[in-house]
Amino acid sequence: MTREEQFKEIVAQYCKVLPEDMTENTRFREDLGFSSLDFMSFLGELEDTFDVELEEEEVLQVLTLGEALALLERMEA
Amino acid sequence: MVIRDILEESMEKFSKLQAVKWLKKKEIQERSYRELWERVTKVRKGLLAEGFAGKHIALIGTSCVEWIESYLGIITGGAVAVPLDAALPAKELVDLLNRSDSEGLFLSPRHSALLEMLLAGCPKLQKVWMLGEPTAASDGEGAWDWRKASERMDSQDRLMEAGENSGEDALCPEPEAVATIIFTSGTTGKSKGVMLTQRNLAENVLAVNYRAKPGSVLLSVLPIHHAFCLVMDWLKGFSLGATVCVNDSLLHMVRNMGIFQPDVMLMVPMMIETLCKRLAAADPAIPKKALAANVFGGNLKIIFTGGAHLDPCYIVLLAGYGVEVLEGYGMSECSPVISCNMPEDHKDGSIGKPLANVCLAFEEGEILVKGSSVMKGYYKMPEETAETLRDGWLHTGDKGYLDEEGFLYINGRIKNLIILSNGENISPEEIENKLALGALVGEVIVTGEANGLTARIYPDQEVAAREALTEEEIRAKLQEFLDQYNKNEPTYRRITGLVVRKHPFLRSTTQKIRRQEALIDEPVLP
Repeated sequence: MTREEQFKEIVAQYCKVLPEDMTENTRFREDLGFSSLDFMSFLGELEDTFDVELEEEEVLQVLTLGEALALLERMEA
Repeated sequence: MVIRDILEESMEKFSKLQAVKWLKKKEIQERSYRELWERVTKVRKGLLAEGFAGKHIALIGTSCVEWIESYLGIITGGAVAVPLDAALPAKELVDLLNRSDSEGLFLSPRHSALLEMLLAGCPKLQKVWMLGEPTAASDGEGAWDWRKASERMDSQDRLMEAGENSGEDALCPEPEAVATIIFTSGTTGKSKGVMLTQRNLAENVLAVNYRAKPGSVLLSVLPIHHAFCLVMDWLKGFSLGATVCVNDSLLHMVRNMGIFQPDVMLMVPMMIETLCKRLAAADPAIPKKALAANVFGGNLKIIFTGGAHLDPCYIVLLAGYGVEVLEGYGMSECSPVISCNMPEDHKDGSIGKPLANVCLAFEEGEILVKGSSVMKGYYKMPEETAETLRDGWLHTGDKGYLDEEGFLYINGRIKNLIILSNGENISPEEIENKLALGALVGEVIVTGEANGLTARIYPDQEVAAREALTEEEIRAKLQEFLDQYNKNEPTYRRITGLVVRKHPFLRSTTQKIRRQEALIDEPVLP
């Protein structure tokens, strides 16, 4: 499974949208119905899955799946 | 009885037990009841030595052991603690510091970026003590050096040194003295400072009839500036001899549940909903017991919840995993608990029986509360106080009833506040006033849906015509405006839904928007 597929699998745990229907412009709150806590919990799962440490202040500016993936890539780099 | 009496008794009885645990670089740190009390005493004596007896002292920061030590140092010595939400924009924090007449401030290093604005905007602030050790964010290369910034800057460590070197200790405060001012959303868009006395806090701690074994583990995940967290996680926890563990970030709530393995937790409904999503997403082949151990840490038996409505389906669902969810009801004005379900006396769907120190009455369905935990009033807001406290009865703004067995139920609201499932009370007017500043925003109403807020906007027709904007362009521009607004707001005040209206809102004969009909988008008939 690629990083993006793994990422979308985790996203799918918090919403009723299928991974194949997610695009990089999909918005967590508006399109997927994430609550603020779903989003935080999701990021915690990302940290555990990809072994990265995210800064709370930075992640709060993330709106779309594409932005979250880009942040993840930066952290892994 | 005051908070200091309760704490002194606990410190004596449980001196060798761990009072607080937290993580530092992924290692568990601990502080015993004896150590905690020694440090609280140093803060208290330091404040006295530096001339802060009886003064208002604010705290800005997220949960940490230094925050709670400072808070207890303030309130056990007769000064007044003003906990503020660190997520608020700097401008609002300046306003609250000034309106609360705060002369001292404990600030977490993580929020040191606020310092310049706070020092410049709050002339009454005589001293700012930095809490704990500097962080990478506050101390990194290029970071503003707060130590050199002003002679008004100091550290909690230095304050404690002053306390250690001083022979004099503050007297125990009187029960009727104000202990803390907690800000809560006002219906007119201006937050109100709830004054709670020493007696208010102490009586609430004692009246919540929950018993736990000393040494029970409690993981504190709520925002520490909220009355529910402050009084029930920390003060109640200490009264029981519990070990209160600090959740360092909401990102790590589930991970920290695994690390600290709590017996009991306080949560708002949104947290329960999120946990349930994780349970639902798990492989159905995993036995429930193993899954519960994985998600809850293995020891969790009870979740107390309040602050917003919880769908009873979650109570049933978590019972299947061996976790009992007990719902309660309260508000900052009541220190905060009014009623609560207890392990031995509960009814699903209700918000429990009123506490022993609470009298309830109903006026046209509205719940009225009287008792020793009811606030003294709103700080410097006599009109709002008189409106809420009438003949000693606190008008809650909630509608409800008692059943034949004495359990309380909520069935409506009178006040114009949006209650989100994270327990935050949102004043829609406060947000509408800000959104109305958008050039393309003609009329706006904010409503609460599911777990977030929706802005319903009727675009300014003149602006749209002048710029020859299509419907799509209008939506894109409004969304861009909302994204910009959201950037400066705490997550709970962000707008997550946008409805672009085709018609203006319906108005009353006095030309006020009919808020209850805000969802109707039809042409107004002549």
